[in-house]
Amino acid sequence: MDFSLVELTRDQQIFQRTVRALLDEVVTDEVHEHERATGDGISVPVHLALGRHGWVMPEWPVEDGGAGLDPVCRRILELELARYQVPRIGLGTTRLVWAAVERFGSRELRERLGPGVADGSVRFCLGYSEPDGGSDIAAARVRAVRDGDHWIVNGSKLWTTGAQCCQYSFVITRTDPDLPKHKGLTMFLVPLDLPGVEIQPIMTYGGERTNAVFFGDVRVSDDQRLGEVNDGWTVLRGPLDKEHSLGPGRDVLEDLSSLRQYLRPLETALDVAVAWARDSTKPDGSGPLADAAVLERLGRAATEIELAVCTPGPLGRVKIGDVMIEQSAQLMDLVGTEALISAGADGALGHEGDIDFTHRFAQGTTIYGGTVEVFRNIIAQHDLHLPRASFPGAKVVI
Amino acid sequence: MDRFELRSQDFSLDEDQLAVRAAFADFFAKECPPETVRGAEPRGFDADLWGRLLTLGVGSMSLPTTAGGDDATLVDLVLIAEELGRVLAPVPLISHVVATRMLERAGAPASLISAAARGDFLVTLAHAPVTGGARQLVPDAAVATHVVALLDDKLVLLSADGPGAHVSNQGCTPLAWWRPTDGHDRTVLAAGAKAGAIHTDAVAEWRLLTAAALVGMADAALRLGVEFAKTRRTLGVPIGSLQGISFPLVDIAVGVGGTRHLVWKAAWYAQHEPGSRPELPLMAFDAASRTATHGTSASAHVHGGLGFSVEADISLYFLRAKGWSLLGGSTSANLREIGSVIAGAA
Repeated sequence: MDFSLVELTRDQQIFQRTVRALLDEVVTDEVHEHERATGDGISVPVHLALGRHGWVMPEWPVEDGGAGLDPVCRRILELELARYQVPRIGLGTTRLVWAAVERFGSRELRERLGPGVADGSVRFCLGYSEPDGGSDIAAARVRAVRDGDHWIVNGSKLWTTGAQCCQYSFVITRTDPDLPKHKGLTMFLVPLDLPGVEIQPIMTYGGERTNAVFFGDVRVSDDQRLGEVNDGWTVLRGPLDKEHSLGPGRDVLEDLSSLRQYLRPLETALDVAVAWARDSTKPDGSGPLADAAVLERLGRAATEIELAVCTPGPLGRVKIGDVMIEQSAQLMDLVGTEALISAGADGALGHEGDIDFTHRFAQGTTIYGGTVEVFRNIIAQHDLHLPRASFPGAKVVI
Repeated sequence: MDRFELRSQDFSLDEDQLAVRAAFADFFAKECPPETVRGAEPRGFDADLWGRLLTLGVGSMSLPTTAGGDDATLVDLVLIAEELGRVLAPVPLISHVVATRMLERAGAPASLISAAARGDFLVTLAHAPVTGGARQLVPDAAVATHVVALLDDKLVLLSADGPGAHVSNQGCTPLAWWRPTDGHDRTVLAAGAKAGAIHTDAVAEWRLLTAAALVGMADAALRLGVEFAKTRRTLGVPIGSLQGISFPLVDIAVGVGGTRHLVWKAAWYAQHEPGSRPELPLMAFDAASRTATHGTSASAHVHGGLGFSVEADISLYFLRAKGWSLLGGSTSANLREIGSVIAGAA
């Protein structure tokens, strides 16, 4: 057990200063304004700047376009990106998909895409969910039919966040409808600039833009296939397992849950609520801190955040989403009417109406990467060893 | 607190810690079955079990070697307290250890410290600072002859010929009314800021160790619910396969998993960086009292009507969730203290 501060070597201190200097320069007010206006989840200029330093794939060797960073420097980078509130959904999905490309892609594909991934010019998004089913990914119905050395893809994908800023989508398709549910699937890295691909924005009240992506007779080269035909489930499971944090042997510098970053807006909202409690004056001249109930609510919110940070793996996935929703609503109630004021309007709290934003944003955090109900099923079976529910049409609950 | 500082987040136990945990888990599982818990009701004290625990050295182990101890850390103590809570052991270990540590910190005579460490007498602490003669409920005062209290600005050890009169209570613990005027011998241990600091730290330690016990309690309640849900059937399936049953059980597991880690983290900070995160033991206590309250209630509910009967072991757990977590006062006051730290430091 150890929670001590990591002592940085001279080189690591220099690295930390270098990261901060770059982020000071490239993470401008415009970057945050752009994100607030578009909800892109990625800032292309910042992503390219990271790429120029080898920080998109920081553990890769320098000759491959990475920065050869040690685990401490990788963690420094991660924390500074969080501190500067760099929009980085696209960074996460790109890294996630690369894990599958590296393992299942042809050598030609890896060599063709690797340098672009590293320099930031090639970005990946996830084509998992479909209009008919969200978290039940294996129910995919997007059809891919072989045509010589190409495949003809038809159908639609939903919740493909970042598609408007990415070059490829990691698409799971149905290649053999006669095989059992998990057997007739094949993965492709579909270029999003092919004829027949149409990206339609879906705006969320969490501030994020996501997309529906339609495929109409899209001709995809067989070179873009990952893994064997009809073995797409194996290919998809690799990164998905990583996303679900089921793997053993964790790095002690890393967060206990892969979704710990979702708590960041709530931490900001708490700090804003504390500042409000300390500094604001009510019309009758009193301050909020004179009210013991205010202290109790701040204490509870802070406790729940700390508890969520400490909750491991899939348990943390559930806890983080629940805490986001419950405590953002509590902070809204605590502050009252002022919490409703939109970013930029007179009296907005914090930098960007942070409590208002967090309350809206929180609602997505029990859905992203699989709903918390999916994770409760996983915990029931894998941690508690409760008997598996038997539902028609669901042989495997992921 | 810098939310972005680079710290290790290593929640693993080393070999010594694993050994401590295994030894006490083994001891409590063997020595304290549910019959022992029931047999100790209503006062909640098994002198025989307490005697055997003392021979294991629990009274002295967390004292410095200079005071005849083994330098066991707060991390060791929370591991032991979790195992104690898992079986609801009817022994005043938490109060006695915390109060003994107060004696040592206050520089009490060596003979007094070693007598407490051996368990020659039982000592507990009054949680509320005392300014008048008003009585207060003191945990374990129905078995302890000695009470450490903060009287005005002095830390005082008050001793009597016998323990206080037991008051019947929900958790079947040795609770007693106590007031500082009832024919006690007094020894002033410390005065001024030092006295207040020792008392504040001790109350935080008591909450931390009780939090650990509540985690063990909630975990054991979860196990009872899970085993019941695996075997009980309805409509041709085990009830545990239904999400209406499995999801509430999962939520107990989520609470237990996170709270255990929070307790460990709080123990580590109190041990290695005392003062840097004073809110952590209080947070651990708030989380643990809710985890135990919710967990024992939800698990009893999974048992259906059986869980409402005193014959079911889960009833022992349900009654002690509040029965243990309210011994140090109101949980709202604890929450306000967290709020004060947050509002002062953020």
